[in-house]
This record gives sequence, structure tokens and C-alpha cells, in this order.
Amino acid sequence: MAFAANRLIEGAAFLKAGSKRPEPMIFWLIAIAVTAIACAALLYAGRGRPVNAAGDESADTTSHFRQLLAGIDSDLAAGKINADEAIGAKGELAREMIRAKSEAKPAAVGLGRAALVSGAALVAAIALGGYALLGSPNIPAQPLASRADVAAQNMDIDAAISRIETRLAEDPNDIRGWTVLAPALVQVGRFTDGANAYGRVIALSQPTAQLLTDQAEALLLAADGAGSDEAMTLLRQATELDPTDPQPQLYLAAELTRTAKYDDAARYWQSAIDLASGAEPWLPAARQGLAVAQNDGVDTTASDQAEMIGGMVESLSTRLYDEGGTIEEWTQLVRSYIVLGDLPNAQKAYDASVAAYPTAFERGELDTLALSAGLKLNGDAQ
Amino acid sequence: MSIELGHFALILACAIALASSIGGLTLWRSGERLASVLAQSAILQFVLVAVAFLAVVQAFATSDFSLALAANNSHSLKPLIFKISGVWGNHEGSLLLWILILVLFGALVAAFGRRLPADLLNLVLGTQSLLVVAFGGFTLFTSNPFARLAQPPIEGADLNPILQDIGLAIHPPLLYAGYVGFSICFSFAIAALISGRIDQAWARWVRPWTMLSWIFLTLGIAMGSYWAYYELGWGGWWFWDPVENASFMPWLAGTALLHSALVMEKRNALKIWTIFLSIITFSLSLLGTFLVRSGILTSVHTFASDPTRGLVILAILAVLIGGAFLLFALRASALRQGGLFAPISREGALILNNLFLATAVGAILVGTLYPLVLDALIGTTISVGAPFFDLTFGALMAPLLLVLPFGPLLPWKRADMVAAGQRLIGAAGLAIFLTILVSALGGVSISLAPLGLLLGFWVTFGAFAELIERGKIGRIPVRESLRRLAGLPRSIWSTAIGHMGLGLTVLGIVSVTAWETELVTTLNPGETTQLAGYSLAFDDFSQIPGPNYMADTGHFTLTAPGGGTTNLEAERRTYVASGMPTTEAAIATFGLSQFYLQLGEPLDNTHVVRIWHKPYILLIWLGAIVMAGAGVLSLTDRRLRVGAPQRATKHVMEPAE
Repeated sequence: MAFAANRLIEGAAFLKAGSKRPEPMIFWLIAIAVTAIACAALLYAGRGRPVNAAGDESADTTSHFRQLLAGIDSDLAAGKINADEAIGAKGELAREMIRAKSEAKPAAVGLGRAALVSGAALVAAIALGGYALLGSPNIPAQPLASRADVAAQNMDIDAAISRIETRLAEDPNDIRGWTVLAPALVQVGRFTDGANAYGRVIALSQPTAQLLTDQAEALLLAADGAGSDEAMTLLRQATELDPTDPQPQLYLAAELTRTAKYDDAARYWQSAIDLASGAEPWLPAARQGLAVAQNDGVDTTASDQAEMIGGMVESLSTRLYDEGGTIEEWTQLVRSYIVLGDLPNAQKAYDASVAAYPTAFERGELDTLALSAGLKLNGDAQ
Repeated sequence: MSIELGHFALILACAIALASSIGGLTLWRSGERLASVLAQSAILQFVLVAVAFLAVVQAFATSDFSLALAANNSHSLKPLIFKISGVWGNHEGSLLLWILILVLFGALVAAFGRRLPADLLNLVLGTQSLLVVAFGGFTLFTSNPFARLAQPPIEGADLNPILQDIGLAIHPPLLYAGYVGFSICFSFAIAALISGRIDQAWARWVRPWTMLSWIFLTLGIAMGSYWAYYELGWGGWWFWDPVENASFMPWLAGTALLHSALVMEKRNALKIWTIFLSIITFSLSLLGTFLVRSGILTSVHTFASDPTRGLVILAILAVLIGGAFLLFALRASALRQGGLFAPISREGALILNNLFLATAVGAILVGTLYPLVLDALIGTTISVGAPFFDLTFGALMAPLLLVLPFGPLLPWKRADMVAAGQRLIGAAGLAIFLTILVSALGGVSISLAPLGLLLGFWVTFGAFAELIERGKIGRIPVRESLRRLAGLPRSIWSTAIGHMGLGLTVLGIVSVTAWETELVTTLNPGETTQLAGYSLAFDDFSQIPGPNYMADTGHFTLTAPGGGTTNLEAERRTYVASGMPTTEAAIATFGLSQFYLQLGEPLDNTHVVRIWHKPYILLIWLGAIVMAGAGVLSLTDRRLRVGAPQRATKHVMEPAE
């Protein structure tokens, strides 16, 4: 959907007479002004207007000791300490105060004008340079309120299609118009028209594997998946043009399998699988298709799979009953039995997991699963 | 253009912070002139980051999806409050909030710290700026909230539905204020280590910041716990989830710091330990914030799981924490120890407190990190679950709670345990009586419940012993006692109330753990079920559309044992944009107890329904709120008020604790 919309926005841009973008110049002017103000504020603060009055520190320390002294006196008055203890405490306080006063103050270092100015220059350079590196001053703000109009204009696919069609009726050789139109027609479900539009693009330019495949795809969609001769020819051409593209070969293999031409089908399946790098989402389906074609249409994988699942459930259950496991593993086991339709074993596994996890709090998902499959909650967990 | 201006403001703020950190940490002896430049710089950093933050908020509020962050995390149909809270409901935006709070605290120090010695102020603001550079740089270069989309999508991807809750508007800002507040203590500690000067004035400055951060962290954790309780739909209030642990560890360390700073302020002792705790507390905060983002954990809190970011985070943590401890190792010996005291004394009690809290932090740290380390080193996945934490943490807290009421009753320097014990006899008697009473009436379902209850009552009542002692309650006329109580310094009140809050939380935890009842059953509309004397009727079921979700709503009527009825609505929501389901539990409150109902998946006409009765659960969070309130009360104490001018002479009796 997003893909088609983007193509259409492109199309609209090509139909309309350009779009307006705010000049980033104003932005840079503001940015430079803000930087200048910030640097000026820093330089102004460094002019030497003292913030901390001299002697403040010692006054602060003195008042602190005075408080402690008052504390000792009040303790004495309240009878919490006796006179000897008070004298001892005052002595300790005095020693502490003398120490604080005599502690050598580190030598002060001057702050030169040069340091200040170079600091401010550093700030300006890093800020403006950093923004030039990271920012995108060209992108305008696009809040919903303003975007809604643009979106409404662009999103009305049918209107856009008809506008492009009108224009193409006047100038049927406009290849760009057909290029935009073809995927949009497929997107809105006009497959035959889409195939025709791809045909126009191919006629007006060089046929490429991608274009041929796209056209064939539109034809396949128009015929509900059944491959016409035309579509098959297009796909074979595409494969010849670009033997490294698995897409047309997959379509060919699927159609040949459907029409029971297993030898050809197996060849295309194998060829597509050979082209895969291993992470393709269609790979499992292709392997299954190959297996079906090689067995002349009999799907043997289904019974193999069931056997495999059975084996996995068996080993999971043995491990859980012997060694225990997490609640997720128990849930997995119960779910597997339910899926296999083995309700007695599911109930047994459920009982065992309830015994292992007696608090309902921990069994949220499991309880839902079990109760929905008609299992019973036994035991003392209620 | 406002988004780009916000982006520029953030970069400019980081540039200013860089210059400040270089200047502050190298030229810190330059005195007042540099101090005034750094103060100006701290305020500029705050203004600029605030502009950046507001630019992002505006983009979210107007659904400007040319901001990639808004496109990925917002939706035009969301209510405005969730659009705004959605700003920090993601990795990049929450980092921006983190930085905003960081520079806010820096600006506060600059504004209120004019009376600080210039050298100290230079170093503190320099260190604070260094933190801004580290996190600003991390944000800009690895997780830029200002990334743009030239062709914005029509609609946003929406925020994780679990986060579309008022909790998101409150929990992270509170928690971050707590985490980041400890950065001030960290900066003060670094400043003390570099300058080699540390005195009681230093402690007097650090304590209000610790207190303020601790209050925010307490409320943030409590809020997060309550949010998880009502939103996640499992009825639990604490999961020992690594991320919860990550917020709990700085809280424990911060609590220890609060108490050790008290010793340092009053008695000029425990200096090096206090510095060490300041560094530890903030390091744990960093761990808490960044463990979430490194991709090594998976939970509701996990935002980013990008290995590159993880490495950068690890590098930042290593440099900041490692650097701080290296500095500590090199310089701590230069600091002078002071203040001698006997083992049995207020100081001794506070050290005991620190010992237990620090051990608890260690235990939780091991429990949280051990599985991760094991997984990384030998690939074995083990899970350290609630039983480990319950056992170790419980075992560590029990003795702490046992000795806690003695602490405030012991005088400084040298104390008499027997005398303190005598004053607590009343509290002990009352606690034992109530425990026996409750255990007899309520029935005991787990063996440790009475012990927990006893501790809870003991802490709660023991907290008042000092007030009773000081007010001479029962020994002089009531009017006179009240006058004395009103005249007591607020620090004494805040100590008593804070400890009482802890007791309440303990009571809530014990009560819910021991006496909670739960039921899972299937229910058809029209049917009724029973739990803990309550009767629950499933009235009907309907589908109701919300602003950006569809809700399956079950209507229930709950009849209390006393006879009153309450209507409950439990929902299962499916969000339009993401297709994700959430459950909205129905909670009915009866006094301090709650009845918690969750609607499970529908099966034809039947529904799985989970019901819990949670006796006195509200005490857990009420206790936390009381603790935070006690902290606020303590901050209003003149002695601690940030920036309060000192009076030349003292007419009021000073607290003689």
C-alpha cells in the first residue's frame, strides 16, 4: 500500500507543476543567532562579575560550627549529656574548626580572556558543525493538519488514476505515465488493465525480466492464479533474460506443478532453490514444491511432519516429567497435546504443571489455554 | 522548522556542556569567574534542552510524522495526554527526558549553589556537564530522537498499548528524576575527590539532593509497582524483574546514602564511605537506565535491542563508573577520617543499617547479573527467580527491621542499649499482642507470616517511641505534650513518619503474601461465583469501541460480605493500529483491601475469569507514599532547605539527635 502510495505521490508530483520547499536559509539564520546569543551570555558571565562573594566560604563554615556548638549546649541544657561530655565535645569541635581553617586553600588559577573566547568559539563550531552533520534543515514540518490535505489529494487513488489515464489518452507514448499507472492499477484490482499498462511500458522501452514478470503476475492475478499461455511465455522470456532472478521461475514451477508437468516443475523448483541465499521466506515452500514434483504430485512431507512433531513432543514431555521446566515449556507441551488432539495426555501434562506451579498467577496463559480446550483444573490450586 | 530548531538546540546544549566540562574539570581553581560562566552554562543547557524537548512534544501533539520518532510511536487517534506521554514511551524520547532532568538538576545547583565554595561549584558543574556530554553524545549519534522522514506515513505505528496509560505520564518522569538526581551526589563526590577537600558543609549540601532524589525514586518505584499491578493483569505488584531490580538497587543504596550522609553531617565521620556510596548509587542508577537499553534484557521495559548501542552504553558505563572508582582508589586515602564513636551509638546503628542495605544491594546485583554473565560466558541459561530474591532479601531485611526502631533512640557517640530497649517495651508489647490477635483471627497459611507481621507492627509502632519520649506523653498533661510535640524539629517527625511508612509497607507485603486468595474459573453471563466471602455475579458481556481500540467488556456485580455491592467492568482491548490485545483489570477497593478481577479469553459464551482478594494490599504503596512524605517534611526542615540562608544565631533548640 505504502509502495503504491509513494509511486502515486511521485506521479502527482510529475503531473503538478513542482512543489514548494521552505528555504533552509531562515533556519540557518536563526541557528546562528541562537548560537551567538548563547556565546554572548557565556562571555558576559565570564566578565568578572563575582557571583560568590569573597569570604563566603569561611562564613558558611563558621555558621555551621556555631550550629553544632548550639546543639551541644542544648543537649547539655536538656540533660542528655553531662558537663564533662559537653566539654569533650566542644574540644573536638574546636579541633575540627582549627583544622578546617588551617587547611591550605589550593592556589587559584586565573581564567584568561583567551580561554573564554576560545571556549565560546569551540561551542559555536561544534554546534553548527554538529548540526550540519546530523540535521536535515530541508525537511519541512508536516503535522497531521497540513498533511491531511496533501494525503487526501494523493490518497484518492482512483482520482489519481483517472487523471493519469486522461493525460495518457492525449499522449499515449508517455512512458513515465504508464510506469506509474501499471502498479497502481494492479493495486486497485484492475489486473487486466494493469497487464496492458505493463505491456505498454515494455513496448515503449526495452523488455526487462522485472517488467515481464510484473506483467505475467498481473495476468496470473487476473486469471485467479491460473497461468495462461501468454503469462507462461512472458515468464519464460523473463527467465531467459535474467536466469538469476528466482521470481519468474517460482511462478513457472508453481504453475507447472499445478498442471502436473512434474519434470519441468522440478527443474524450475531446483533452479530457484539453487539461486536462494538461504534466508528467503519462500524457500520452505519451494522445497516442499520440489518434493511434491519429485514424487509425481504426492505430498509425503505432511506425514513426515506429523511424525517429527510427535517425536519432538515426546522428548519434551520426557524431559519435563523427569527434570521439570519453566512454565512456558509446560504451556508448550499442553498446547502440543491439544493440537495433536491427545486430550488425556494434555490433561495429564496440565495436572503436572499445576503441581509444579501452584500459584495461578504464574500460569496465566496456561490456564486460559487449558480451560479453553476443555481441560479441568484439578488439585489444590484454587 | 521547529523540529530542526529543537535538534539544533540539543546539539548546541551538548556543545556548551562539552566546553563546560573541559573548563570545569581542568580550570577548577579559577575561582568565581569560572563559576559564574559554568552557572550560566548550566542554565543555558537547561533552556536549550527544554526547547528541544518541547519541539518533540509539539511534533507528537500535532502528529507530525515527518519526525521518525512520532511516526514510529504515535498515532493521530490517540488522546492528547498519551500523545505527549508517548514522547518518553520509547528509547530515544526517554533518553531526551533523561537529559532534560539531568540539565534541570544542573541548573538547580547553579541557581541555588551561589553560596558554595567556587572550587567545589566549578568541579560539580564540570562533572555534571561531562554527564550531559556523555548522554547527549550517545543520544545524538546512536539514538537521535530528531531523525526525520522526508515522506511521512499517513498514520503512525502507535505506542505499545500497555504503555497507553496514565502511568506512563507519571512513572518514568518520577523515576528518572530519582535516578538523575543522584547524579548531583555523584558530581559532589567527584568534586570532593578531585579537590581533596571534604567537610561537614559538603555533607550538608549533599544531603538535601540525596533526599530529593530519594523521594522521587521512592514515588517512581511505588508508582511503577502499582501500574504493573493494575495494567499487566496478573495481580502481582513486584516481580523481581531485572529492570525492577535495577531501580530498586539505587533506592537501597540511596537509602544507605541518606543515613550515612546524616552521620557525616552530624558527626563528621564515615566520609570515605559516604563518597563511595554516592558513586555507587549513581552507578547503579546508570546501570538501571542502561541495562534496559543494551539489548541484554527482554521485558516490558526493553526499548532498544541494538548491539552497537549496547557496546556504546557499555563503554560509557565503563568510562564513567570505572573512572569514578579509579579516582576514588587514587584519592580516597587523601581524605581525612574524623569523628570517633563507640559501637553501640547512633553512628553504630546507622553503620549497621548501611551494612544491611549494602549487602542487600549486593545480593540483588548478583541475582540480576549472574544469569546474564553465565549466559554470556558459557551459554547456560539459568533463571534466578522470585524464590532466590524473596529468601535472600527477606533474610537480610528481617534483622534490619528488628534493630531499626532502636536507631533513632540511641544518642550519638556512646549509647545505652538497655535504656533504648526500655523505651521500646510498649511498642514491642503492642506488636506482639496485635500479631497474636491477627494470626488467631485470620488463620495462618504460611509459617513465616506471624514473624513478618510482628516485624511490621514492631517497626510501625517503634517509630513513635522517640516522639512519645520527647513529648513526654503520659507523664505530663496532654496539652503540654502536644505543645512539646509541635515544637520538635521536623527532622524528628520525618524520621518517625518515614520509619512508620516502612512498617506499613512491610505489613502490606506480609498480609498480601500470606492471606491473598485467588480463583480461576469459567463463568457464563448470569452465573455467580464466591471468593473470600465476596460474591461475584457476571451480569453481561458487550463490545464497546474506544478511541483507538475495540473493547470486550464484562460487567460484574460484586457483593461484599458486609452487604454492599459494587459494579465492576473488566475489559480486553484490541488496539486498532498494532492489533495488540491488552487486559484492563477491574479493581474494587474495600478500605485498604482490594478485589481484583481479570477477564480472560472468551470461549463461545463462556469466559475465563481470574479473581484475587488482596487483603491490605494498599498498605504497600501507602507506606511508600508515607515514606516519600516524610522525606518532603525533612526537606522543609530549615537546616536542610536548599539555599536557605543561615541565621546568624540560633534561638530555636537544635535537634540534638
